[in-house]
Amino acid sequence: MSEFELQHGLNRRRLGLRVAKALLKTAAYAVFWLIVWFLTSMLLASFPEYFKLFSVLAGGLLFFTFAMALAEGTIYQHILVIIRAFFLIVYLAYATHGGVLTINLEGLAFTVEFVPLLALMIMINLLEIAWGMLQALEFAAKSPKD
Amino acid sequence: MRLTIKALGWIIILLWIITLTLPFSAALSLLKLAEGRNLGVQEPTFTFSNGNISITMPVYINNTGFYDITEANVKIRIWKENVAIADMLASLPEIPAGQMVNASCTFTTNFREIFQKDRTLLTKDANLNVNATLRFQVAHLIAFSIARVFPTQWGAPFHNLTVYGETYNSTGHVLSFYISFNNHAFFSISGFLTVGIFNSAGETVGMTSMDLNVPYGVSFMEFVEVAVDPSKMTGDIYVRLFFADLEVFERMIRL
Repeated sequence: MSEFELQHGLNRRRLGLRVAKALLKTAAYAVFWLIVWFLTSMLLASFPEYFKLFSVLAGGLLFFTFAMALAEGTIYQHILVIIRAFFLIVYLAYATHGGVLTINLEGLAFTVEFVPLLALMIMINLLEIAWGMLQALEFAAKSPKD
Repeated sequence: MRLTIKALGWIIILLWIITLTLPFSAALSLLKLAEGRNLGVQEPTFTFSNGNISITMPVYINNTGFYDITEANVKIRIWKENVAIADMLASLPEIPAGQMVNASCTFTTNFREIFQKDRTLLTKDANLNVNATLRFQVAHLIAFSIARVFPTQWGAPFHNLTVYGETYNSTGHVLSFYISFNNHAFFSISGFLTVGIFNSAGETVGMTSMDLNVPYGVSFMEFVEVAVDPSKMTGDIYVRLFFADLEVFERMIRL
């Protein structure tokens, strides 16, 4: 077996291990989202499009968990943190209709307004973007030049 | 740089915990408030004075939740065939967490404003729609509002208003007739009813006023005598009734 083939085999094994680790982490998060679904669906099922919106959030965050676990130790991990924060900003603003949710229950219109809370969530995500950028900068500064 | 990144990471985690805990604790606080007899509304009282209709409802709220309840108000909008007739707003005081507050919820609306929008409400019963909204803020951050639309029956204060049995005394120059109506409204009518007699040119021929005090659900009938100016009398005259500067009724009389 040549040195190239040996190196190639080692890389494939390492990639396989990394994928398995990412899958395991994603599965653990999936269990967490399933529990959240069971806990919230009883109370929030009356909200319009709740199932669709929850699926998008859980699916999106599970994708980012998998991708970030896969890209661990690379600059892409930090870029994914930034993209995830952007995704959450757009999702939160869209899914909550700008912080005002209304449901109709047996002739009663029930409205929850949480605009300041949504603003706080967006601010946290902006902080997360800054955090991701700093991490990416630090990673780039530490990486050996080609 | 490393320390800044670490600190920022912790700040983000802390902020997420606070932000996600708040709505859950606010919901829990509301559930605690909803259980038992923590909210109560007592019998409302209706009053009519100085051209204003007032509905007063004593309320008590025992805030057993974790957060203060602020900016609480009740808004009532009344519609008739998609036309808004009255908007009323009553504000409630701030209810600190763990305290019980007794307050009075008073809705006031101007009699003239309502009937300027729809005169027929003065003399005809009608089906109205009421939109009642309760709005309050929990923890100064999350606002809740509960709205309900329900139909209601409006009872006209001058229902079946009629002027009849008119006689004219040409020697004494006095026009006399009966005025009758039923007060179907939920409030008593008190104030002056002005009776005006006008000729066909629109000039005032005679005028008088009567002090009304008709409780709700009571029929009213009174004999009225109006001294008229004979020089202005014409063959057709008009009897107009005014209440709170609003024309309630008009009828032509041929002498």
